[in-house]
Order: sequence, then structure tokens, then C-alpha cells
Amino acid sequence: MLIKTENLWKVYEIGNEKVQVQALRGVDLEVKKGEYLAIMGPSGSGKSTLMNLIGCLDTPTQGEYYLNSRLVSQMNDDELAYIRNKEIGFVFQTFNLLPRATALHNVELPLIYNGTESKERLEKARKALKMVDLEDRVTHKPNELSGGERQRVAIARAIVNNPSLILADEPTGNLDTVTGADIMKLFDRLHTDGNTVIIVTHESDIAKYADRVVHIRDGMIEKDERLK
Amino acid sequence: MQFLESVGMALRSLISNKLRSILTLIGVIIGVMTVIAVVSIIAGMNRYVADQINALGSSTFFVNKFGITMSEEDYLKALKRKDFALQDMEAIKERCPLCWKVGARAVAFKKVKYREKYVSDIAIAGATANITEISDINLSSGRYPSEFENEHNRRVVLIGWEIADNLFPNQDPLDKDIKIGGHYFRIVGVAKKRGTFIGQSQDNFVLIPITTFNKLFGTKRFMSIFVKVENFDSMQEAQDQVRLVLRARRNVPYDKPDDFAIMTSDTFMDLYRTFTSTAFLVMIGVSSIALVVGGIVIMNIMLVSVTERTREIGIRKAVGAKKKNILWQFLVEAVTLALVGGLIGIILGGIIAKVVAAFTPLPASIEAWSVITGVIIATSVGLFFGIFPAMKAAKLDPIACLRYE
Repeated sequence: MLIKTENLWKVYEIGNEKVQVQALRGVDLEVKKGEYLAIMGPSGSGKSTLMNLIGCLDTPTQGEYYLNSRLVSQMNDDELAYIRNKEIGFVFQTFNLLPRATALHNVELPLIYNGTESKERLEKARKALKMVDLEDRVTHKPNELSGGERQRVAIARAIVNNPSLILADEPTGNLDTVTGADIMKLFDRLHTDGNTVIIVTHESDIAKYADRVVHIRDGMIEKDERLK
Repeated sequence: MQFLESVGMALRSLISNKLRSILTLIGVIIGVMTVIAVVSIIAGMNRYVADQINALGSSTFFVNKFGITMSEEDYLKALKRKDFALQDMEAIKERCPLCWKVGARAVAFKKVKYREKYVSDIAIAGATANITEISDINLSSGRYPSEFENEHNRRVVLIGWEIADNLFPNQDPLDKDIKIGGHYFRIVGVAKKRGTFIGQSQDNFVLIPITTFNKLFGTKRFMSIFVKVENFDSMQEAQDQVRLVLRARRNVPYDKPDDFAIMTSDTFMDLYRTFTSTAFLVMIGVSSIALVVGGIVIMNIMLVSVTERTREIGIRKAVGAKKKNILWQFLVEAVTLALVGGLIGIILGGIIAKVVAAFTPLPASIEAWSVITGVIIATSVGLFFGIFPAMKAAKLDPIACLRYE
């Protein structure tokens, strides 16, 4: 089991009066290695919060989260950073590339933070960019790339460290329909290659690409359906 | 890896925003520049003055009734003291066994004339023949006035290079007669050119025997006695001997201070140092203020930079950057920024020093240690003022950062 969460709760305190917002209210989720999963829900459903927890960007207020049999829900900031680097590959709606760095430098960023040597870094980065069909764009900066190309760079960065999990948050949100479809085909390919992919989205058209859809509403899992 | 990586990123960041970088660095540049320029000028002067003063030799000391007066009041008081006479010199010769060579010199300012040409306000130096023992005047031709001529009040003169140049542009001055203060003198020697000392020409003098000087130009007000000892170690004792002799001759009561002054090259060096130490302190004051201001500017710019790059920090953390990675990155940027400012300051300071040396009488000598100090100062400013923004960046929450517009 790659991901196992038990009774995951996340409560925020907002404002001076410390108003309590219950973003997640007891989520139990299991994801096997190699699965292709979509987490779907409307705005405010808690799907972003769940994604942040799964991606180890945050820790739950209550409950446990095992990633690759490691209890990550109690880890400190530095340990979480390590896990993010090794196990998680993020893809964001707004691409989130370093604007003044080349595609190559953007992709090698995770490798820099785990101490990989320069030569090896460049090799791996080039390989990742090749895998997303961008080998002839390595020296371009983000503002010299189209939306679809930028997302490809982001995906290359996500896979460069061979993570256990690819986590994408509305990956086609800033792309037109055609480019969006191309990107989803790319995710298909990554899945076929053996990667575990989780897409967080509010669009059912995008969720349809996955094998399984987990519907979330008001901080709880409503429905867990197998599509294929 | 991290270090070079960060330095590279820092430099890239600096270059991509040249105008902002320069404005940021003005404080540090001024601070370091001031240090380098002033230190270079003072070092150059130190070297120069030390050379000049040491030409006197550390085995020589002077005695006169003035000493070094620092105020008009002191000067007027000193003026009232008893003048020295050649008899004092003789007394010292007799009764001061450690005094190896003893002589005297005095100075007045007069017009020097040859035929129709003349030069005014020339230093007329009268001295015993053994002035050669302590003087750094070299001969270009001829000789010094001799002991014999001194004993017989002969009117012979050694002229300075500039006098020769002015009055005898196309002929050999030797054996010619010139008028000094209305009296005729025969030229027996011409001195080699000595150059200038802080803008003052050192070649505008004439040297005559002191006995002649005393006879013709009267005043013994500014007479000094000089003493050279054989061994540097006997300097102190020789001075004590001289002091004893003079106090007796001048009837100074045992409980009153000397009514004359004994000066060594140290005396002059100390005096010189008090002047330069003031300049030094002013410089430190100015550059400290500039550096503190510069540091605060760097800190503010780094804070702005952190805010601007909030998203970027979020991205880095998301892909695995730890707190210390972010801290290090921004700290290195701050230090790199400060160092670039420091280097510019060093170069500008050096240029200023050279320009000052070229266009004013002040010399300059760019010292290695001042450059190293400049680098250290710049680095420290970067570290000290960069740590706060760097820590702020490191503590940011990645989720909040990624949401930041």
C-alpha cells in the first residue's frame, strides 16, 4: 500500500477570534502503487487540503498518514522536505516554474536539493525533458515557452527524482482544451510506465481519464468509484 | 554544491536587476571606498614622512628654545626664553662625553641676488661645517663651507638647486658672487635637487657658515644645536648629559622644568601621528555611518526580494528545499551583494587615492591590508544585515507561499 490514511482531520483557526474551520473531517483513504486516481470535489470541499496532506506539504491536526509504510503525519519540517524531495512529484495549475531559470535548471532543482552531483543532475534532467518531448527546448526560459510546454517542464521536474507519487493539482486549469488533452495523454503515458498518479480536480472531464475517482465534499469522502 | 550554486544564483539575480543592485550598494561602496582612499593616502604620507624624518637618523637629536609649540600662547612664551649661543654648543662638546658630533644651525629669510636677477624669501641657513653629518643635502658640484671658513667668518655659500636654476640658468654657478641679504658671498657648492615635501620646495635655500650668519644676520632666536651620538643606545643618556649642561648654563632651578626642548626623530613622528590619527578617526566615523546605512539598505532590499520571491520560495520548498537551504541561499545572496559593493568600493577608493596623489602634493600607497580589511568589512556587513531577511525566508510556510499572488 503506497498511501494509507486513518481518520485524517485538518482544522484551521482563522482570524483573531480563532474561528475553527474543519477542512477535513475524518478521511480514510488507501491507494495502491501504480494506481491512477482522481480526487474530485467542488470549491471548499477540502480536496486541496487533502492534496497538501498527501503531498506532505502540511501535517494533519489529527489522524495518521502512512506513505510507503512510513508514518509521515508526525514528521517535522526538515523530514517532510526530505520526503517531498524523494517521494512526491508536484504538478501545479499555475506551473510554478522559476521564471528566470532555463527549463533545464528548473528540472534539476529537486536534484540540487538532494545533493546530486552536477554531471548526474544534467543527465537526469535531460532524460526527464526527453520523456516529455522537450529535448530541444532545454535552454528556453518559461516566458519563451507556451502554456503546454511549461506544464511539460513542470511534469519533467516532477518525475526527475523518480518519485513514488505524482500529484497534480488542476494540471489543465490554465490550458486550452486541446493542450489540456495533450497533457492528460502525457499523464496516461506516465501511468502506463508504472507511476502512481493522483489528479485533484473539480472537472469531471478531467477526472474521467483516471481509473478511480474519489468524490469529496464538506471535508469527507462521499463516494469512491472505480471507472475502469 | 550549495555554495557555488547559491553564489551563481546570487550573481544572476544581481545582474538581472542592475539599476536596483547599484542603488542598493551605494552605502557599502561609499563605506569601503572611504576606508581604502584615506588609508592609502595616510599610508603614503607615513612612508614619505618616515623616510624624511629617518633621514635625520635615529642617532641625532636637536635642542632649541622652542620645541614644538602648539599654540600662539606657547610660542610667545617660548620666544621670551634665553637664546642659545655657540658657546652653549662648545659647552656641550666639552662636557657631554657621549655627544659624538655637535653642531649648530640657524635660519633667516632674505633676498638672494645675482646681477639683476633675484629671488625673494629664501631660507638662509647658517650652520657649523659638521652639518654634513646630519644633513641629507647632496652635492651636485663644488663643496660645503669648511670648518676653517666657519672659524674665520668667511663669506662662502652652498646654494640650493632651485637658486642655481633661477639665477644661473645657462652657466656654472661655482666661484660666482651673489648677494645675500645685501652682502656678497662666493659660491663654493651647488646642491643636488631634493624635490618637494608636501608641496614645499626643498631646493630654495642657501647654506653659509654659522659664524658669518651670526655676524651678518644677527638674530640667534632660531638657533638649534644638534647632537649626533655614536651609538643609538646612548641616545637617552646623551640627552640627559646635554640637559644637565644646559640647565646649569641657563640657571634653571632644580624644581622648574627645562626652558628649552630636546627633540628626536620620534618627537616629530609622534607629532605627525597625532595629525594623521585625527584624519584616521574621521575616516572611521564616516565609513562606519556609510556602512551601517549601506547594511540597512541591503537588509531592506533583501526583505523586498524575499517578498517578491515568495512564490519561488514555495516552489523550492515543495520540491524539497529545507529551511537551511533557503536560509543559505538568501544569506549568500546578501553576502555576494555586499562583496560586489566592497570590490567596487576598493577599486574606487584606489582610483581616488591615485588621483589625489597625482594632482595634490599628498602621496598615496595602496596597502594590501586595507584591501583585505575592505573585503572583510563588506562580508561582515552582508552577513550581519542579511541574516534577518534570510531567516524570514526560511521560516515561510510553503503552502502559503504557493498561494501568494
